Amino acid sequence: MAEIKVGEPHVRPDKAAHVPGVRQGNHQGMYKRQPGHLPDDTSTARRSTGVNSEAKDPILPGMPNLSPA
Amino acid sequence: MATAQQTTKASGTGDRELTEVAFDPITRIVGNLGIYTKINFPGREVAECRSTSSIFRGYSVFMKGKDPRDSHFITSRICGICGDNHATCSVYAQNMAYGVKPPPLADWIINLGEAAEFMFDHTIFQDNMVFVDYCERMVRETNPGVLERAERTPAPRAGTHGHRTIADIMRSFNPFEGETYKQALVMSRLTREMCCLMEGRHVHPSTLYPGGVGTVATPQLFTDYLVRLMRCMDFVKRAVAMNDDVFDFFYEALPGYEEVGRRRTLLACWGCFQDPEVVDYDYRTMNTWGNSMFVTPGIVVDNKLVTTDLVDINLGMRILLGSSYYEDWASEETYVDRDPLGNPVDRRHPWNQTTLPQPQKRDLDGGKYSWVMSPRWYDKRTGDHLALDTGGGPIARLWATALAGKVSTPYVRSTGRSVQIDLPKTPMTPETRLEWTPPPFPNTLERNRARMYFVAYAAGMALHFVDQALAEVRAGRTKVFEDFKVPEEAIGVGFHEAVRGVLSHHLVIRDRKIANYHPYPPTPWNASPRDHYGTPGPYEDAVQGMPIFEENSPENFKGIDIMRTVRSFDPCLPCGVHMYLGGGRTVRESHSPTFGALA
Repeated sequence: MAEIKVGEPHVRPDKAAHVPGVRQGNHQGMYKRQPGHLPDDTSTARRSTGVNSEAKDPILPGMPNLSPA
Repeated sequence: MATAQQTTKASGTGDRELTEVAFDPITRIVGNLGIYTKINFPGREVAECRSTSSIFRGYSVFMKGKDPRDSHFITSRICGICGDNHATCSVYAQNMAYGVKPPPLADWIINLGEAAEFMFDHTIFQDNMVFVDYCERMVRETNPGVLERAERTPAPRAGTHGHRTIADIMRSFNPFEGETYKQALVMSRLTREMCCLMEGRHVHPSTLYPGGVGTVATPQLFTDYLVRLMRCMDFVKRAVAMNDDVFDFFYEALPGYEEVGRRRTLLACWGCFQDPEVVDYDYRTMNTWGNSMFVTPGIVVDNKLVTTDLVDINLGMRILLGSSYYEDWASEETYVDRDPLGNPVDRRHPWNQTTLPQPQKRDLDGGKYSWVMSPRWYDKRTGDHLALDTGGGPIARLWATALAGKVSTPYVRSTGRSVQIDLPKTPMTPETRLEWTPPPFPNTLERNRARMYFVAYAAGMALHFVDQALAEVRAGRTKVFEDFKVPEEAIGVGFHEAVRGVLSHHLVIRDRKIANYHPYPPTPWNASPRDHYGTPGPYEDAVQGMPIFEENSPENFKGIDIMRTVRSFDPCLPCGVHMYLGGGRTVRESHSPTFGALA
């Protein structure tokens, strides 16, 4: 290491990167647990609302399902 | 505005009389930049130049041991104006390390956010900072003869931008009161909003992640973006015409001005705007997807394209010392001895770098004088370590893209010798075709000219990206995120363009933590000091040997030509300047909000 005087560190720089057992948003398999997100990369109105979402889906099967943000 | 004053008369080399002039700090950089020159006033040229920086950041030191998934949030804070470029580059490096390919829509969204960032940053830098050096008030102070001629010179493209004479254009550049200056501020608001739509926040994005984005893709998102983009279009078309008029006029009014800031063509571009149809973020296929980027990566040496292969570019990177305040890391650990293709990786490559700071007194006479290291690119054809520059970004991007001839979209295409940009009809201006052709050599004016052409390039590309993203959404493919696992051990590299030029992030993961992380933004390339071979960095090289056109005497010398040259490399944000007046007297000018009232 460089020979420079430094003070006492306030944090442990090698703090655990992740606590085992805590769910990670990026974990493989998480996508299928997201409500309204379908395996074919499309989504339904359920991704936008949990209230009566089926009624807000497109009226024809050929229409894209474009729910609001 | 930076100013300098004479310090001491130095003994001349030969029969030249050299005067030391210091510009420190020039703070259009995150931190601190100083330019120390020796000027031969009788011969009207800059004899020597040293570029120094007195700030140490230490990202490569404190990133160690952190969760790699945090790296884009942390490294975004490297810069207060192009943080999203760092976040994007870090995301690319992480994608490679985790082996994850985001859904296409996520890449289109990142491209749209970055296109908005280029439009924002280049516009605000060009019109609100660079043009302060070319505005009527400044030219009146430094070259009254030029202003007098500008008053008499009609603007050739007046029909496009509406300013009758060149002096009228210069007046519109006057800070705080000029029309162009004020319009650019309005544009910067619109373009920032565009960036925020895609990346959640500007400058430090909140919705960019490895594996994708958190932006919810709806038709409204893209139409909101498109509305703002079209509102910028009139301004962009007018700005390009104004730039061309002013820079052409400088060549005409000051014969020989092309020598100001002239440097051998040594340009680097690491490419940006990924093509989601091709990119898989795998190192082994990096050449393929690198060549499909919508800004082609490339190294241009002596006006010839040397390579567009990101693997070649990566393996040629060398971080040299020589005039920097660091200990050598030769005896430290080698993290990566071979890349995933089996190629040997040099000890001086960022993957193997260990930063060992060694603070010391600045010694401009043959000693160490900067915190900036000296990144170089090893040219295996000649064995030279080339001090590549980015020319502020746009000139290198346009040059590499023009010569490579690989980009072909409905709005922007490369012809193999130029770049053509077609912008659609907008309320105030008709459909416009712009064409950028590489100049005979890079200099101060050409670096600045390329900047506004690249704004048009980014705007044209943004139109294409909106089309592509909307096609995904209309097909119902709204997925923007892919799951991934952080591997026990991995390496990754991200290549991107920060607004002012090349950007790379080199990442080594061990035990699911960062073992080594080295971001290399454009400023270390441009502001680098002399390396241990004695090769000067690009600022030093461009300023050294440069003629002086300023009409002021040495007593009230402003150094405008030197400042124009350094600023043509886009060294980040201006804050303050202080003047060094020999004899230990220091005059400080903080910020420049009252500039317009001073003259």
